Amino acid sequence: MVKKQVRRRKRRKSKQALIGYLFLSPVFLFYSIFLVFPISFSLYLSFHRWNMLTPPLKARYVAVKHFTYLLVQDETFLIVLKNTLFYALGTVFIGMILALIVALAFSRTKYSSIWRFVYFAPVVTPPVAIGMIWGYLYRPTDGLINTVLRWFHLPGQQWLSSPAQALPSIMITGIWAGVGFTMLIFIAGLKGIPEMYYDAARIDGANFWQGFWHITLPLLKPTILFVLVTGMIGAWQVFDLVFMMSSGGIDTGVVPFESVGVVALHMYQTAFRYMRMGRASAMAFILFLVVLAFTLIELRVLHRGGVESY
Amino acid sequence: MFLPFLWLILASLQSEREIMLRPMVFIPEVFQWQNYVILFKKYPLDKYYFNSFLVNSSITGVVLLTSSLAGYSLGKLSFPGRELIFKGILATMMFPVFLFLIPVYYLLKRVPLVGGNDIWGLGGVGFLHSYPALILPFVVNAWGIFLMRQFIIGIPNELLDAARIDGCSEFRIYGNIILPLTRPALATLGIFIFIQQWNSFLWPLIITTSAPKIMTLPVGLQLLRVAFASARNQHYFLAGLVVGIVPMVILFLVLQRYYIKGIVMTGLKG
Amino acid sequence: MNKKIKWSLIGTLLFSLVFGGIAIAQTKLVFPVHWTDYQLEGMYDEEENLVEKGLKQYVEEYMRLNPDIEIEIQSVAFEQYLQKILVAHMSGMSPDIFQIYALWGVSLVDSGVLDVPPADVIEDVRANYTPSAVIGTTIDGQIWGFPTEVDNYALVYNKELLGEAGFTEPPATWAELVEMAPKLTKYDAEGNITQYGFAFLSGWESAVVHPFLSLLWSNGGEFLSEDYKECLVNSEEGIGALEAELELFRKGGTDAAGSVWEFPNGTVAMMIMAPWYESSLKVGLQEKYEDVVGVAPIPILKEKVNAQYTWFACVGSGSKHKEEAWDFLRWFCSEVQPATNTTRQGDLMAGNVGALPPRKIDMENQETLGDLYTQTFIEELEYARSEPNIFQGAEIKIILMNEIVKTWNAQKTAKQALDDAVKQINEILAEFY
Repeated sequence: MVKKQVRRRKRRKSKQALIGYLFLSPVFLFYSIFLVFPISFSLYLSFHRWNMLTPPLKARYVAVKHFTYLLVQDETFLIVLKNTLFYALGTVFIGMILALIVALAFSRTKYSSIWRFVYFAPVVTPPVAIGMIWGYLYRPTDGLINTVLRWFHLPGQQWLSSPAQALPSIMITGIWAGVGFTMLIFIAGLKGIPEMYYDAARIDGANFWQGFWHITLPLLKPTILFVLVTGMIGAWQVFDLVFMMSSGGIDTGVVPFESVGVVALHMYQTAFRYMRMGRASAMAFILFLVVLAFTLIELRVLHRGGVESY
Repeated sequence: MFLPFLWLILASLQSEREIMLRPMVFIPEVFQWQNYVILFKKYPLDKYYFNSFLVNSSITGVVLLTSSLAGYSLGKLSFPGRELIFKGILATMMFPVFLFLIPVYYLLKRVPLVGGNDIWGLGGVGFLHSYPALILPFVVNAWGIFLMRQFIIGIPNELLDAARIDGCSEFRIYGNIILPLTRPALATLGIFIFIQQWNSFLWPLIITTSAPKIMTLPVGLQLLRVAFASARNQHYFLAGLVVGIVPMVILFLVLQRYYIKGIVMTGLKG
Repeated sequence: MNKKIKWSLIGTLLFSLVFGGIAIAQTKLVFPVHWTDYQLEGMYDEEENLVEKGLKQYVEEYMRLNPDIEIEIQSVAFEQYLQKILVAHMSGMSPDIFQIYALWGVSLVDSGVLDVPPADVIEDVRANYTPSAVIGTTIDGQIWGFPTEVDNYALVYNKELLGEAGFTEPPATWAELVEMAPKLTKYDAEGNITQYGFAFLSGWESAVVHPFLSLLWSNGGEFLSEDYKECLVNSEEGIGALEAELELFRKGGTDAAGSVWEFPNGTVAMMIMAPWYESSLKVGLQEKYEDVVGVAPIPILKEKVNAQYTWFACVGSGSKHKEEAWDFLRWFCSEVQPATNTTRQGDLMAGNVGALPPRKIDMENQETLGDLYTQTFIEELEYARSEPNIFQGAEIKIILMNEIVKTWNAQKTAKQALDDAVKQINEILAEFY
């Protein structure tokens, strides 16, 4: 009798395994076409020199020359890495803190619908449009931002025309564009914390701050991790916005590329302006390793807290 | 927060003379509503809207399917290698988009028996100048799989076991239990994906620059900038931006309810 | 079968054969251009009358004359034109007709993307175009298409603003420019510039590098060695030329935020500009155009020299309709219209875009070329020097541009910037020469 049950369970198990793979088959199929091939092809390209005009199979083999060039000789690459790091850390962390503050505020107010819309509108706007709008706002002489500053008797700034301020300006725009999205995720996370924890704490005499530090933050850790990981992955690859606001869209004075260049922009330029597709592919792989490293660090740091592996 | 949009709408309603004034004026004397009429006459924004909607709806639909299937599999079914596969799927999110651009372009070109290609995929353009080029590369989304898995994990196992004892196949469980229960998550995911794809710029740029018929909105907006490049046409350009943004915002307003509810229940809290 | 059905089927069959046949017989030529707005659509006056034809009108005319040909114009942003060619080439769907900047041509030719023109076209170009344009279209000793545009540079200034400040003449030497510019610059209460005495053209590599080359050559310096193996901009003359630019910054005649695109708004007094800006100026200034715009040779350092570049129209080697493509180009660029003694392409260039048509007969007969704007550019063509057609031209110029812009932003000295530029450029040159 027991043997039959065991056999039945085993059959069910293997049947389940089969179904499990079956349900994943579209995904496997997709990745074998749209992941394995492209990555292999790009890997191939990163070891060759190719200008996209000749057949790729005839490209000249250069071994790891691209990689050594990028890491050792190419000052621009290191500078854009630095810029992108700055951008990523700035937008993700500041964005996260702002979003959390706003989310906390909204979880206690009543008029959330309207405000939620206001905060979310930038998220549904194409970065192309955002870049162009803010390009106008940042105009040093007559843009809206400087005008408002002057109402308050503060000096107007050069913003996108100043090498030092250009990247921070773009970052501000990036944070504006993304805060609504992060905020909504935090709202959901906050709503998931049972009210009774706070009640218990209040009974014990805890004030708001203690509640925040000892209840909210720890229980919010999974959400924070999610936001952090996905935010960083996205920020490292930022392209549309910076492209629009540095050269693609606006007519203000120009800053040197090194002031605003991010990695994705440099890749694009290397591939489509310099026609060095091989080197650009190598760049992309280096970027991948950087992002991977950061993600692993984040997972390590925030894994403490006994949350389920993300 | 809202100021940039307010400025945009006001500026788009300015007259030609006003838009060229320096220093810039913010509020037009007379609201030039006809700017929008003229804009539509000169420029096929409706075509871009249609294309964007078609492409994005298709992508969203298929993503919902693939994500929920995979999410169920990774969340509730057991089989060897499950966790590894899941981590692998997550890892795919970290590859820079750039690595995919040119190879996928080639792939789409070489699809056999399509777009003038022979059986070896040579001779024509494959899918390159048609909608599949904008849709196919996005029909599986790691983020979506991630989300669905998290949510499905939250479904009580007893429900599923009961169904299995009753003799339900996994397919039926998927269709009759999982799908209805995950509706909020599906709604959420659908909106997320739709928005993410709506704003996508680089890939449609590469594909549609040679295929204007299937051009999507973000690329169309960029072209708008070129079409209305002169200083005196800027108000048309800004009106174009407004038209590009407003409908999506309204759509979001309408769907807000499902969306918020969905997020709350996705179990992102852990 | 029922007689009616039979006849209607036959009718449908014939119908579709006839029209399908025509549809099949129609040849489609794809023609991407970087022109925009009125350059394509034509220029209209207040009453919506067509004042100046755009490319669209010419193409429509050709299609009327040749009903079996369909030409599709694709408007592509200038920054993306090269990318589009590369991507289209990869897909095997090269456009049929290109209008390209000569510098891009070097790599395209090297990779066999361009179709060798028919012998009669080559002869025509050699015989009937200005020498500098022919040089511009020649890569590897071969002519590759019809030069459609030559562009050089001159000083464009706002007569009204100059008059207000008490100047009756534009500056003739660079020293004069450096003196005049600060007097034409106005500030607001905070110290921001509201009116620029001078603004530098910027935003893409040619914009920054070409005026610099003009100064470099004017100062007696050289860009590259004759064999293209070495970059020479960090010579004394080169540094001197860059310092000349920086003088303007130091004396308060301009700053890094200055933008030439504000000229039609009356907030820029002087700038170095190319011929293609004419129509924008006309459109932007309207009735005030004649009173405001003045053009003079670039203020010189030592010699009279200005930089020049070329665009040419050619046919893609991947085109399936090369004959038809060259036919269109012959009609557009080569055929002389008896009424005006000009070519249609020359009309478009001179009348609409405001660039210089390089065909000799156009240069003689285009009325609009004698106008207040273009006249000076044509005169200056005599002293124009073509930029070199080198490999990786874009990359090299971008490097130079970045270094120059850094000096504008006071991040490096002229010598540092040029030394760094030379170092990077020489590495690239070593790859190819």
